[in-house]
Amino acid sequence: MGDAVRAEDDRHQSLSEDKPPHEDENAVAAENDEQDDELRRLLLPDDVSSLPLSPPSVVETNFVRYYAPDFMKPGHDQYVYRHANGCVISISSSFLRLPLNCLCVIGLAPTHVALQAEGGVTSVDFNVGKSDRSEFKVTGKRKKNAQHFQPNSILCNAASGEATYTIRCCVKGSLLEVNNRLIQNAGLLNTSADREGYIAIVMPKPTDWPKIKESLVTFDEYKKLRKLS
Amino acid sequence: MPSNGAGDVAASGDINQPENVTSAADEELRLLDEVVRTFPSPPVRHLLSLGVCPQCILRLFGKYGPSYSSLSRLLSMLLEVAGDQPSSNYPTSQCTSSGDSICSVCCGILQFIYMDEKQTMVRKECANDLAVSIYELAKKEGYQIDGFCLEVSIPSFIVEKDNAIRLSMKEKYGSEVWFKEILQSETISVKDAIKLYITEPLETLFGVKSGPSSFRIRLTYSSSELLKSQNDAVIKKCAEAQSSRPSDGKASVCFLAIQCYRTPIYVLGRYLKYSRNVSQTRWIIDDERMGESSVEEITGDSVLPLCRGDNYKFHAAGREDIDVRMLGSGRPFLLEIQNPRILPSELSVKEIEEKVNSLRGKLVKVKNLKVVDDQVWALMREGEAEKQKQYAALVWISHELKDKDLQIISSIKDMKILQKTPVRVLHRRSPLEREKIIHWMTIEKITGSTQYFLLHLCTQAGTYIKEFVHGDLGRTYPRAEILQLDVTDVKMDRMNL
Ligand SMILES: [Zn+2]
Repeated sequence: MGDAVRAEDDRHQSLSEDKPPHEDENAVAAENDEQDDELRRLLLPDDVSSLPLSPPSVVETNFVRYYAPDFMKPGHDQYVYRHANGCVISISSSFLRLPLNCLCVIGLAPTHVALQAEGGVTSVDFNVGKSDRSEFKVTGKRKKNAQHFQPNSILCNAASGEATYTIRCCVKGSLLEVNNRLIQNAGLLNTSADREGYIAIVMPKPTDWPKIKESLVTFDEYKKLRKLS
Repeated sequence: MPSNGAGDVAASGDINQPENVTSAADEELRLLDEVVRTFPSPPVRHLLSLGVCPQCILRLFGKYGPSYSSLSRLLSMLLEVAGDQPSSNYPTSQCTSSGDSICSVCCGILQFIYMDEKQTMVRKECANDLAVSIYELAKKEGYQIDGFCLEVSIPSFIVEKDNAIRLSMKEKYGSEVWFKEILQSETISVKDAIKLYITEPLETLFGVKSGPSSFRIRLTYSSSELLKSQNDAVIKKCAEAQSSRPSDGKASVCFLAIQCYRTPIYVLGRYLKYSRNVSQTRWIIDDERMGESSVEEITGDSVLPLCRGDNYKFHAAGREDIDVRMLGSGRPFLLEIQNPRILPSELSVKEIEEKVNSLRGKLVKVKNLKVVDDQVWALMREGEAEKQKQYAALVWISHELKDKDLQIISSIKDMKILQKTPVRVLHRRSPLEREKIIHWMTIEKITGSTQYFLLHLCTQAGTYIKEFVHGDLGRTYPRAEILQLDVTDVKMDRMNL
């Protein structure tokens, strides 16, 4: 607890740092105290006991979760997480009409055969087909050099021991990035396939999205299909 | 009083403030009479025959005309002068008509004849009558007036005509003594003349002096295409210096737009945002409002009616997301009020503050409001680049919070992190990896919970805080679940607000 108190002192000091020096110090101190009290009241949750035991994860909060079960091969279950906020842009000028470019994060669903295999995924290779996906350099707001991928385009191969699994794009769109960390650390797929172990980020055209959506199943449908609770 | 002296008095417009318009007009006429009598008659007759108006004739002799007297009085004086030596070429009776017709040089500007916005021809008796129209317009708009600045623009062809008539006089009378005297006195342009004629009546009407002021009266004279084509012919005639009168006695007059406006005023302050459903600026997508309101509207809609402006613009030093509260010291913002009729006093600024802070819902609070000049603009920009930001986040971690965690977190000082452009904004921003600095962090425990805590952190501006805390799929480090985020302080090194 001693640390907490010390930390509190630090905070206090830094809050008062940039006050105008010419003002009456007592008045400033009083105002700061008042401000701090108000701040503390606002920051702390109203009722600690009402907080969820474990809150929704960042994935649940920020993404709408879709799945492509048995994608082109039985047991090849992949997820397509569509960023929910990405469609909505905050801008300073109010009258712009906005293109609704939403990003999709592509990865392996927990029921994917590669994750079920003994020892899990041991390596990931983005060097497939004619080009190495990890070498693409997409630049600029307009995403120059982004490759256009089809649902069946291969993103990478994941190996589990002797077995190799082909991971595909699942959606039509521009490939913005692949998760290069998987090259060094394929284990991320086994520990957190839905976060740090994502495979790639793809940007479908807004006009393509309705069709893409039809080709996928929702989280609830996926759970039902795979008998997950 | 010697006649020269009287001329100087009239020329400088420095007539004693009249008791009323009638006595001012009487005094003016007396002085005018003395001035006009000094003019030699051949050039007066010549100019009258060219269809030059009485005001322009005075102007070409380096004198100013009257503000309060009817122009017809001036004309009769000039006719008298012209008539001293009867001319065989141009009988006086023909000259008389030039009193009603549009001047061939100023196109009616100095005769106070113009087309108004309804395309109606307006003819004022004297400068004072025009000033009264302007005064009434400003009063109708309800301007609080503590001074005024008169801006006049006239079409360039009128300047050309003025030059042409001066050239023709020089060719005709260049060797005469009186003409050499004129050359030594100040040249009065059409623009100078109209400004001077109406300034004094305006000062009297408003009861304030003209000079640098945020309140502007703008007279914009412009011409129709028809007038432009006619005027080339007139210039040509003047240049030929021989002159029959301009063929078209009813030459078109200029359009006149009279506008009153005030340059923007700026209200500076800090805002606090208590709601996670209020955006910083008006935010409408496909005709659908996002959030229940905005800081922009809450502040602007309160300040605008008090200043009675046309519109407002909201500027803030940086921004926070709609679901992020702005607490603590608040964020500096600037409201630019366009064309305010009223200049808010210190007291009424306090009233605005109270008004905003007592609005229902208490979504937004403002403080330290004050009216500032536009210099503060530059300061806001500078300050924005230099600030650090302080945040508080309600954070949940998957394990129990230990004292060791507190130590580790609080030992971090000026830690460099690498952030890829967050997934959240990647669709509209360049994919980049940026280095940012986390200046310090502290954990504040929450009584009754072992996995929830408040994380206070101070970062370099431009750090994506949410991503710093939740890791953004490993694209930023470290990782924890963030529930709610609040900005608690915005440091602006260059400003004490
Ligand atoms: Zn004229």
